[in-house]
Amino acid sequence: MGLLFAAPALVGLLVFVAIPFALALILALTNLRLGSPLPLEFMGVEQFRRIFADAAFTRALWNNALFALVVVPLQTGLALGLALLLHQNFRGRILFRTLFFMPVVFPLSLVAVVWTLIYAPGPSGMMNSFLTVVSFGAWEPRDFLHDPLFALPAIMVTSIWQGTGFQMLILLAGLQAIPEELYEAARIDGAGHLGTFLHVTIPQLRNTLIFVVLVTTILAFRLFDQVQIMTQGGPRNASTTVMFEAVQAAFSRQQVAAGAAMSVVLFVVVLAVTMVQQRFARQEREIQ
Amino acid sequence: MPRLTRYTECVVTRIRPVCSFGLVLLFAFLVACQREETAQPESSGATLTVWAHAGQSSERETLAQHVTRFNQAHPELQVEVTFIPERSYNAQVQAAAIAGELPDILEFDGPYLYNYVWQEHLIALEGLVSAELQNDLLPSVRAQGTYRGRLYGVGMFDSGLALYARRSLVRQAGVAQLPTHPAQAWTVEEFSHLLRELGGNDADGAVLDLKFNYPDEWFAYAFSPIIQSAGGDLISRDGYQSADGTLNGTQAVAAMRALQDWIGKGLVDANVDDAAFTSGRVALSWAGHWEYPRYKAAWGDDLALVPLPDFGRGSRTGQGSWVWGVTRYCRQPRVAADFLEYLLAPEQVLAMSDSNGAVPATGTAIQRSPLYREGGPLHLFVVQLSEGYAVPRPQTPGYPVISNAFRRAFADIRTMADVQAALDRAVEMIDRDVRDNRGYPVVAPP
Repeated sequence: MGLLFAAPALVGLLVFVAIPFALALILALTNLRLGSPLPLEFMGVEQFRRIFADAAFTRALWNNALFALVVVPLQTGLALGLALLLHQNFRGRILFRTLFFMPVVFPLSLVAVVWTLIYAPGPSGMMNSFLTVVSFGAWEPRDFLHDPLFALPAIMVTSIWQGTGFQMLILLAGLQAIPEELYEAARIDGAGHLGTFLHVTIPQLRNTLIFVVLVTTILAFRLFDQVQIMTQGGPRNASTTVMFEAVQAAFSRQQVAAGAAMSVVLFVVVLAVTMVQQRFARQEREIQ
Repeated sequence: MPRLTRYTECVVTRIRPVCSFGLVLLFAFLVACQREETAQPESSGATLTVWAHAGQSSERETLAQHVTRFNQAHPELQVEVTFIPERSYNAQVQAAAIAGELPDILEFDGPYLYNYVWQEHLIALEGLVSAELQNDLLPSVRAQGTYRGRLYGVGMFDSGLALYARRSLVRQAGVAQLPTHPAQAWTVEEFSHLLRELGGNDADGAVLDLKFNYPDEWFAYAFSPIIQSAGGDLISRDGYQSADGTLNGTQAVAAMRALQDWIGKGLVDANVDDAAFTSGRVALSWAGHWEYPRYKAAWGDDLALVPLPDFGRGSRTGQGSWVWGVTRYCRQPRVAADFLEYLLAPEQVLAMSDSNGAVPATGTAIQRSPLYREGGPLHLFVVQLSEGYAVPRPQTPGYPVISNAFRRAFADIRTMADVQAALDRAVEMIDRDVRDNRGYPVVAPP
């Protein structure tokens, strides 16, 4: 009976997730091209061998890992900080909440286009002039999006700017669910701000934090829009990602099988990462 | 749980089920009606489906007007045109091709013609398009539309690529006479010297706009002529089997190093706002025919059109634009050909050239065009296209990969990477693709 209720969702998962993945796996073992009169051939693991021998793909994997390692803690930390600030009761709280959430509402491609203009090279570019003012003239103007060192960090900043609001709202909801009595008890016991934060807030937020970190990690591996619009893989693969390489292979070079192989590898990597995360940080579940 | 009032109870137990049932009946009725409406009679074959790219709005309007007038003149035949966004046009055509859902007449970007013919989507236009029309076409348009000796596509216009220059600034830099014919083009040494002189007079030092803000296909279109001018090419045109020695040979590397040198010296503007030339930041702009209206409006008589520099074997430039073809799904190729002949008549060609500023594809139309005829401001483009200075992009089904490989190499070269290594990587990508496709053999008779 329970299975019957879950059936529509299960069917959806099967049709839109499981079957396409199985197809991708099968395609990755062939030499399928987008539109080719040549017969389809079985290639075994040749496609996988090729993509791992491709410098662009291995760099993409590394970039994805670096991106996740940097963005997840930064974005979660920033979101937590903002949520804590907004949890206070002060005038204009709702206005600030709306302002911090607004970047999330904009389509990612729009954000990428605007940030491309912000990162304009030369002293008149917005980011360059901002950094020059803030550093009292010590900053030398750079072309962020075409600099091998700054391309990926530039994309990181854009992503954090866009995504923090969403995490902030989830963490704010989690904060609001913490019962007030715990804070009172902590105050009575003489805990300071840091003590309250470490021993009351964080443990109570555990489930929410784990969820936020998990979702941000998965999204970090899906990085595509900013790369496509801002850097197109960046100078010498400095900012390319697995999704970008897969789309380039499948649609620009018409090598669907190579793209399929890349997406299979991505799936395995993300699965491994989430399984590791689950092992180290199990969410607490109340059993009734 | 409070006991339901009598009224609510009545609604819940009697009226609501009746209403729900009624809604379900209404829905079923509407669905049935819908199905009846869409069950059209079998197409009598008097409709031609056409796909076109949604370019500038003036281009779209002109084409829509052409179609309307054609429909009015041929009441027994209806042409239906669908506009598809330009950015994803090629991908959508490929997807439709795989599903076997291509229209009767298809417009597509010239360099993809060879790919579509190889996939057997297009039929040859030999017996369908009149010989006089074929002879009236610009040599470049004919060359682009021909694959393995047969004509598969005809374009209403071709593209022009050259250097737009500010006369006054170039004169200040010490060059009094601007070349007007490709045979008089500046050599790369003269051009580099001019850039340095201009840079000395310029506020931020950047004097050349290479349209770095343009998307993908621009790079193969605009910068492969440099390599061809130096004596190399994107791929060896003898069989189209390998790019080794051609794209990464000494001449190609030298040409790209010269370009990289300009970038390294800060002579090239990034053009993020696409206004480097119009706002006066740069004196030279490496651009196509589509920029003429904007540039003319900004600088009037100070605007000059100059052929691209000569990197060793003569000035070379790009060519190629949108092309019309008939797919093999068309059941009335004769009628489709009539439509193409109509589109390529001088009035229609001129109207399109007026709306998008491109080079008209037929000799008769060129003679009547104020911009492109002998003595007109853009006649240089016609000279380039008809006297062999314009080189078609490689006519091979593997062109998409070649374009992608060159774009990646260019992106690396732009950031001061080693030119030889970047071009070697591009060659490897291209050669491997040709090998994977068994050298793009002819799979079926054309």
